[in-house]
Amino acid sequence: MRVRVWDPALRAYHWLLAAAVTVTWLLGQFGPASMTLHFWLGYSILGLLAFRLVWGLAGPAPARFASFVRGPGATLRYARGIFVRQPSLTAGHNPLGALSAVAMIAVLAMQGVTGLFVDPDDYINVGPLAGSVDAATRKLAIRLHHLGATLAVVLVGLHVAAILFYRVWKREDLVRPMLTGWKLVRPPRD
Amino acid sequence: MRLTLAAALALMPIAAIAQDDPRLDAVAARQGYFKLLGANMGVLAGMAKGDLAYDEAQATQAGANIKALSLYHAPVHFAQGTSTDDLGDQTAARPEIWTDSAGFAEKFAGLAAAAAPLPEALAGGQDSLGPVVQSLGGACKACHDGYRAK
Repeated sequence: MRVRVWDPALRAYHWLLAAAVTVTWLLGQFGPASMTLHFWLGYSILGLLAFRLVWGLAGPAPARFASFVRGPGATLRYARGIFVRQPSLTAGHNPLGALSAVAMIAVLAMQGVTGLFVDPDDYINVGPLAGSVDAATRKLAIRLHHLGATLAVVLVGLHVAAILFYRVWKREDLVRPMLTGWKLVRPPRD
Repeated sequence: MRLTLAAALALMPIAAIAQDDPRLDAVAARQGYFKLLGANMGVLAGMAKGDLAYDEAQATQAGANIKALSLYHAPVHFAQGTSTDDLGDQTAARPEIWTDSAGFAEKFAGLAAAAAPLPEALAGGQDSLGPVVQSLGGACKACHDGYRAK
């Protein structure tokens, strides 16, 4: 049956986050020496993540962490059947997708927070809170920020690859539900 | 007692080497150079951001110092065997400085180019600070990105 799984706010969050993360990453790697836009986008990403946290606790059912974060048992059971050539029909994140979503949120949060404390000693791209911590913390922040940039690429790549895998192998379109909200799901057993 | 004495004697040459190691002298020299650059950059950036009270004479002096430092040939202090591969945490100088010495020299030329309009470029009051700091900071970043350990 067709159900409205993703509410409009969550969809807006998803695509804004995708755009912001892409541009921020590109600016970080290839952008101009003055990273003002990278910083502003970073603050926006922190804002988007704050929304996601609220939505994960108090939003509609499919958006709530409690509804999609599963234990190791359920996750393993789902993972075993991953290559079965049929749609998952999950009403929201499937147990593996949940891991991916949580990992992305965690890495992006780490990026946003460490970015506040970086000081690359160039006097133009200093994090707004760099002055409030000691040099060792600033160094740690910049190392984590670079590590996080790599992790973010890996996780986003995995995310996109999984969506292609579902589309091609499992014959399930996961992009359209994130655009329209509507998704074909397995009717709940009663 | 004899053992302690023997151990102390055995360790002495190491301590002596550690103290007189010309490689560590080179590291100290270049770190001092960047400290001087940073101290003067800090004045300009601090005034540009408003963290420091604007003072034209002080800004001009910092600018003149940076220009003088930019003309100093700092690459001589990047002696062979003093990269992070050789000295670990004692330096932030990545091996690329030696494997790509032309690129590294180019970054120093970039600093000299950014500092060339100094200190005259700082004559226009507080508003002149922003573009100067941007341009100098860009030269710092250009080199840090590829040649300085994170």
